[in-house]
Amino acid sequence: MMEPMYLLENVRQIYGGRTVLDVERLEIQAHTITGVIGPNGSGKSTLMRILAFVEKPTSGRVSFQGLPWAQADLATRRHMAMLSQEPYLLKRSVQANVAYGLKIRGISDTPARVAEALKQVGLDPERFARRSWRELSGGEAQRVALAARLVVRPNVLLLDEPTASVDRKNSDLIQRAALDARNRSGTTLIIISHQLEWLQEVSDHILSMNYGHLVRVQ
Amino acid sequence: MDYILSGLIQALELLFQGDPETFSAVKTTVLASSLSVAASMAIGTPVGFWLGYVPFPGRRPARVVVDTLLSLPTVVIGLLCYAFMTHRGPLGDWGLLFTLPGMAVGQTILGLPIVIAMTATAVESLDQRLKQTLITLGADRRQILLTSLWEARFSLALAGAAAYGRIVSEVGISMMIGGNIKWHTRTITTAIALETGKGQFATGIALGLILMTVALLVNLAMTGLKRMSGT
Repeated sequence: MMEPMYLLENVRQIYGGRTVLDVERLEIQAHTITGVIGPNGSGKSTLMRILAFVEKPTSGRVSFQGLPWAQADLATRRHMAMLSQEPYLLKRSVQANVAYGLKIRGISDTPARVAEALKQVGLDPERFARRSWRELSGGEAQRVALAARLVVRPNVLLLDEPTASVDRKNSDLIQRAALDARNRSGTTLIIISHQLEWLQEVSDHILSMNYGHLVRVQ
Repeated sequence: MDYILSGLIQALELLFQGDPETFSAVKTTVLASSLSVAASMAIGTPVGFWLGYVPFPGRRPARVVVDTLLSLPTVVIGLLCYAFMTHRGPLGDWGLLFTLPGMAVGQTILGLPIVIAMTATAVESLDQRLKQTLITLGADRRQILLTSLWEARFSLALAGAAAYGRIVSEVGISMMIGGNIKWHTRTITTAIALETGKGQFATGIALGLILMTVALLVNLAMTGLKRMSGT
């Protein structure tokens, strides 16, 4: 049997004495799309931060491709990328923002990869690459942030309500780009969204969360 | 009123004729203040970043000390530096007293709290999402630090401009450590004090005009930087 991409066992996250996440067991297989739903404060974003290795759980075991959290080094972390609801863009041009992940990995061939990533999110590189971060609308900024994740071709892409604060057109483009990443390079997608219909359409599994617990896995 | 007006006219003549004594003071001022701002930035930026970024025990008292040092009088700095640099002092052998590097040391002490406090504030004001973004993009610790500094670049330049404005207009340190030696350590401010004392208003006003121009340029730079940093 194939080793799961993620394996979580008895994972708890406690903030100030309050348990915000309590997952007994969760497996996420490679190359799948997993949707995560649940009301605000149900622990979805905490789960995402743990999966992105941004936060260490208070207790329990998290492993990525068989490697425990404590042994995950920078090279392991670089297999994953996360996009939040309101992403932060560096105070630089679109080109520099998208190229950042490549630059810190020491990858050359930057302009071609940046242009490809921008096209993937529906932005014309000729028009947008030189623009400053100030000159973007909310939807464009969100798409640039997604391009900055796609450009590094991550094995896992974690999307935390990526379409919550953008209009319909931008939302469609973001959804299409995320699916395109899965189809092109087999990226494992984990998506938090309130758009249940879309999640049901594209996801292999849907996790439903409430009060920090996984209440249902479809 | 006449002597002020004629002083102003003579001052403009001195400036346009390129009076060597006037421009010697300008050169000394620019050299000493540039040296001290560079040193303040080199020392103050990492210290300010550490103070604003790294949580450590005693951080708050350290911040209070830095903020208090912002109002350190220049004559007190001059007095302390003099005590250390005089031939009987611990740094007496270095021969810093009445030299331009000696003045720069004193002015660095004046500029440091400004750079440290403003850098710490700039780093504290960085968007909370920045660190998480950099981690999830795969940055290591050094890359997170350097990128965070680069994100705060306009605020850091603002700190440098504020320090320059304070240093270029100080008198106490230049007078006590530099000794106001003609052609050597005489700055714009010490020259104004001397020339006014001698009743030479023209030279005083000419130097005052240059100082005002410098202040105006620093202010314009600060306004532009504030706009760019979004503060």
